[in-house]
Amino acid sequence: MELSYLGEDLSGTITRDGQLFILGNMVAEVDNTVWITIDGRRQQAHVALSKDAWWVHFAGHTIRLDIVEAGFTASDSGGGLTAPMPGKVLEVLVKTGQNVTEGQALLVLEAMKMEHRILAPKDGEITAIHFNTGDQVTGGALLLDLQTE
Amino acid sequence: MLKRVLIANRGEIACRIIRACKEAGIESVAIHAANDSGALFTELADIVVELEGNTIAETYLNSEQIITIAKDVEADSIHPGYGFLSERAEFATAVIESDLIWIGPSPQAIIEMGDKMTARRTMRAAEVPVIPGEEVEGGIEEIIAAAAKVGYPLLLKASAGGGGKGMRAVHSPEDVREAAEGAMREALNSFGDDRVYVERLLSGSRHIEIQILADSHGNTIHLGERECSIQRRHQKVFEESPSVALEPDLRQQMGDAAIAAAEAVSFVGAGTVEFLLTPQGEFFFLEMNTRIQVEHPVTELVTGVDLVREQLRIAAGEEMSCEELQMRGHAIEVRLYAEDPSNNFLPAIGDLLTFIAPQGPGIRLDTGVRQGDAVTPDYDPMLAKLIVWAPSRQEALQRLARALDEFVILGCTTNIRFLRELCDHPDVIDGWTTTDMIERLWPDGWTPDMTGRILEVAYLAANAAEASGYGRKGKQSIIGNSSELETPFATLSRRYP
Repeated sequence: MELSYLGEDLSGTITRDGQLFILGNMVAEVDNTVWITIDGRRQQAHVALSKDAWWVHFAGHTIRLDIVEAGFTASDSGGGLTAPMPGKVLEVLVKTGQNVTEGQALLVLEAMKMEHRILAPKDGEITAIHFNTGDQVTGGALLLDLQTE
Repeated sequence: MLKRVLIANRGEIACRIIRACKEAGIESVAIHAANDSGALFTELADIVVELEGNTIAETYLNSEQIITIAKDVEADSIHPGYGFLSERAEFATAVIESDLIWIGPSPQAIIEMGDKMTARRTMRAAEVPVIPGEEVEGGIEEIIAAAAKVGYPLLLKASAGGGGKGMRAVHSPEDVREAAEGAMREALNSFGDDRVYVERLLSGSRHIEIQILADSHGNTIHLGERECSIQRRHQKVFEESPSVALEPDLRQQMGDAAIAAAEAVSFVGAGTVEFLLTPQGEFFFLEMNTRIQVEHPVTELVTGVDLVREQLRIAAGEEMSCEELQMRGHAIEVRLYAEDPSNNFLPAIGDLLTFIAPQGPGIRLDTGVRQGDAVTPDYDPMLAKLIVWAPSRQEALQRLARALDEFVILGCTTNIRFLRELCDHPDVIDGWTTTDMIERLWPDGWTPDMTGRILEVAYLAANAAEASGYGRKGKQSIIGNSSELETPFATLSRRYP
């Protein structure tokens, strides 16, 4: 997706999949709302900035746009398996060097009083385990390394 | 009349009870853990006491400390809300033995209903139909043997259980050992009791529950049903009254069965008898909850009865004030959770940067949070209950859809959009709701329908806000000052809350 602006009034155009969308005039007000005129109709969006993302509410939808700092690239091809949220490791179900298949449970995490299973996203080999049973983990902590083919 | 009620709970239900106390001219005492200081319920209460300790066991589950505080502040009664100590008979006993009024049923009734295996036996004796299954005395091997007798698919349930904890659906014998171990472990962690029993899984059934009120003057009445069929992993998501599945005849039969269940344990107070209703129209006792329930507002809106106020009256030894059952219109409650429905409903955390609740006719919001609060992993991820009332079911769904569209929560991922799409689903509109419908409709998980220009607008709005300097302290607006507007678009990546 490519985006560009036309000038001071923040009119916007967006190109997606080769198609051009013109989204009309947009006025960013000082508070947490943005008014957008689309096809002659004025509509309101709510915005808020958290530490690492812009949050937008528009037409009943909430969209979170993560701000990716320059120099950091998020990798989604194999690699590490991270804790989706803070919690405690209840059980480690695999060993280093073990071959696992897609969907296999690797580790059980307890968070918010519920058990969550961390599953293998692909077939591969466990090359490292970073926590033991009973350890507390923070959200985003790297739990294990999975080497995929 | 009660004079000063200590609320042994937190969050939205503490707020609900404090408000009922205020309306009744009763003083309220809030107790809270250190990590709840400044929470909404502590601001509403007349007297606030901080609990010592860090864990839930040391704070909200610490009956000794709670009773000591109640005596210290000269409270005359304790309301347990739901969850926490609400169904702990030993707590109820300790409260009563400390010369305090327990706002709930007798410890004996809690014991007889609280242990699911005991309840099944009591109900059989009272001729209330129970789900085919096996009570299990023993450990893992006995559970596996009982499972073979009941047949598959089946449900493993913690005898001390509730809220879907310690529960597992098992579809084939290969999975039973691992599932039983998981259920036992979760039961042990959640309830300190790892006994698990086996029930046949009645798929395609509806979850119907009957609200009961009973006073100490011998009156036991039912207040109609709530249908709570739309569930996810046995957690209720969407609750309504009346149910499209109940004709007056069936309502009468189930109401009578619920009254019989309550009377079998000499129940006094507000309680709920849960049933499964099969597609063939047979109903089976599931369990009785001997407390006020999360979804009680649904009944309040269609019957006009203030259930918490009645609890306060009944606990004081007065007669309940309700008339014979009258149901009017239709009410629906949805539970807003801090969770990510597009990522297997994983609980979410974050700051409530924006929290704008819907308003207008027929809308009720029960919540314990407001803008600026943080959602932490310390407690249950339920943020709020949104309840709507309208003259008909169709209008109630329309009102709910409108209210969910208006609801703005930014800074923490929620299930609002998921609930909103439920309102439009043909099966929900037709009232064709079953306890397995979420898994049936979205077997591969749910993602939001983003047709239209939602995403484009989101990028533009975020960029406009960024460019205007909004939200960034000390950063000047760059509007109108550059021909090459720096756009952060290339550095934004999308996620679906």
